Amino acid sequence: MPAVALVEAPTDEKVRDAYRIAEEHFGHVPNLVKALGSNPDMCHSITDFFAQALQDGMVPWAFKELVILKTLRAIGAYYSYGAHERIAAELGNSMEKIGDVANSLWESSSEFTDGEKAVFKLVEQIGIDANDVGDDIWDPLKANWSAGQLIELNALITTFVMIGRTGDALGVAEPYLFANAVG
Amino acid sequence: MATLPYIEPEDADPITAQVYADAEARFEMVLNIFKITGHAPEMGQKMWQIFFDILQEGPTVDWYTKELLILKATKMGDCLYCVTQHEVVSARLGVTEEKQRDIVGVEYRRSEHYTEAEKAILDLCSHVVLNPEEIPADVWARVKEHYNDGQIVEIVTTIGAYLQVSKFGDALGVELEPVWHGHEPILFAEEPPTSAAAQHHLDHFMAQAPAS
Repeated sequence: MPAVALVEAPTDEKVRDAYRIAEEHFGHVPNLVKALGSNPDMCHSITDFFAQALQDGMVPWAFKELVILKTLRAIGAYYSYGAHERIAAELGNSMEKIGDVANSLWESSSEFTDGEKAVFKLVEQIGIDANDVGDDIWDPLKANWSAGQLIELNALITTFVMIGRTGDALGVAEPYLFANAVG
Repeated sequence: MATLPYIEPEDADPITAQVYADAEARFEMVLNIFKITGHAPEMGQKMWQIFFDILQEGPTVDWYTKELLILKATKMGDCLYCVTQHEVVSARLGVTEEKQRDIVGVEYRRSEHYTEAEKAILDLCSHVVLNPEEIPADVWARVKEHYNDGQIVEIVTTIGAYLQVSKFGDALGVELEPVWHGHEPILFAEEPPTSAAAQHHLDHFMAQAPAS
């Protein structure tokens, strides 16, 4: 049972707008959004940010999903892991790729480019100590990604630190995020 | 030096320029951490809205209380950038230096400067940072004695958001602005960083000449 009640039928206008954003993006209102529903400001701004992360941006969504899986693993977060495995597969990632980011096999896998491996290394280092991300990590990142992509990736990683911690702390179950297949 | 260049206001696209204007109106300056998100305008706009919502007198949780959570969460993450700034912000809101000092470790539990409600949410904060899936029932019970659902959402998301932004800035090597030079971090004097890299950043910061 979540630590706070899920708000099923909001009356506050700002929460209703957050639910509208969620409905448009996810096809339904995810449980995390409902859990935030008792606080209009947080519900609205986090839902808006959350929805934007889960789509194509400067970085393709299919790769973003692998980064999300790696992030949740790196910080030991349980919230929505299964849902993101499903989305990653629907967006065309092979089972091998999805499996390899769940552990350290991505390092030796031929499925990933050097640029992708550099991102996974960043994820793991942020999980260990974000103060200690040195040139050995940034140089290969900068060789493979634009500044905009690197900001987007860093924001994605750290956003899912926030989402993972928030979902786990509030005890939210999220077996699926999108009402329909996204691929 | 930050890993990527800052986007200065004169080079910002319209979306980022609006974020900078909002930040300056709220915080009296455009911090470096805002400037680095100028590389990804739409993402930056939505990310910063969360912080604009947190850093104000909320309808559910007062800013003073949120500053205690921010200090606790970012100190636990050894974030010099956040701790330094929020020591100053929280002091402006009335958090005394003695109270700031007592937030490290579990000192707040014994401190006369903290209410039972504050002690409960600082315990919650420690669990959210370290092990959120195993928050003890008695911690939740103590939190719920003092706070309703809307407040709990604001408390947990404030902690989560500051875990996010502290790691975001630290990973990118975002530097404290010269205006902070000369400030001696209180929390890190009370308890040094656990991260060797964070200690290095602290030594470098302390070597900077105070802003004139």
